[in-house]
Amino acid sequence: MIDIKLIEECRSGNFNNFRKLVELTSPFAYSVAFRMLGDDDQAKDVVQDTMVAIWQKLQKIKTAEVYKTWTYRIVVNKCYDQMRKKKRNPEFSADDQTWGLISNRISEEPSAALENAETSKIIGILTEKLSHKQKAVFILSDLEGMSNDEVSEITGIGKSAVKANLYHARKTISEKIEKYL
Amino acid sequence: MKAGSEKYDRVINLLRKSNPELDSTAGIERDVIRKISEIERSGINFSGVVDFLFGWVYIGWVRRSLIAASVVMVMIFVYQQGVILKRIDKISRQVVVSDKEIIPTIDDKIEKLLMVYKNSGRKFPSKTITISEGQMKELLESVKDLQIKYKDLEELIDGDPELKKMIEKKLTDSNRTKINL
Repeated sequence: MIDIKLIEECRSGNFNNFRKLVELTSPFAYSVAFRMLGDDDQAKDVVQDTMVAIWQKLQKIKTAEVYKTWTYRIVVNKCYDQMRKKKRNPEFSADDQTWGLISNRISEEPSAALENAETSKIIGILTEKLSHKQKAVFILSDLEGMSNDEVSEITGIGKSAVKANLYHARKTISEKIEKYL
Repeated sequence: MKAGSEKYDRVINLLRKSNPELDSTAGIERDVIRKISEIERSGINFSGVVDFLFGWVYIGWVRRSLIAASVVMVMIFVYQQGVILKRIDKISRQVVVSDKEIIPTIDDKIEKLLMVYKNSGRKFPSKTITISEGQMKELLESVKDLQIKYKDLEELIDGDPELKKMIEKKLTDSNRTKINL
């Protein structure tokens, strides 16, 4: 659990406290980055860059809630940068094998959690037609379970735009699922 | 539609449950500390300066555009300053004729001649005599005086037709060139 006391201790410049902060922050930052990028190395790079940015701006953080929102915002922006770079080389393409995998997994009762590689492939296929913004809104809202207010604050877009993007993302993904599953 | 929605929910639940796992935070911690140490060692942190100036912009392409525009403006400013300094330097090298040195005359032609004389380094071309500025002033004063006297004489002759006729006759008689008064 990240509390303001730990953040205040990090401000003194103690790396040991900061290591603890990295340890607590990395899992949720990695989760968003990996779901956005679908690549382990790139997600780790984003987490590293995010932690460096946090170290440089620790003085500005007043509460633990602000810290979390702010961390997500940095992660999402860095993911946008990465996605723009690899836009020209889309890695995912829908194939029968992947749809078969998804079909098998959701028919299992109870379904076992997916491996990272499987998660990456499925998210990649489902969101391939979405814009970066729609993808971010979908991941934060439906996969990370955040409210529209939180998503709006993290992505920097208005609440109505969040709703519109989410509606469009869900519609596109639903159509795909209905068509192939 | 309901079946489609059910499938959508099952896929989303599966993805939500499959939280991407970060194998180890140790590597990230190590790399983050290394990056921070490098930044602190290098002293001037360019990204820190950029963040300080443009940290309020969260959209990547807007931030990059602002940075690019700023760089271009600084370059234009430096170029302009260079041009201005060059021109000032050029002007300062040119000969400046002070107003105090210009001698007022009643005739533009004489004034021009005087300027030519002054700018020629107070020397006439070779095989001609060199006169001082005092002598030149004296000459100009004489010309001016002569012009005034000539004008008075001209007006006097014009005012008396008999006198004019007599002078013309006298000039003709003495086989001299007729002057058309």
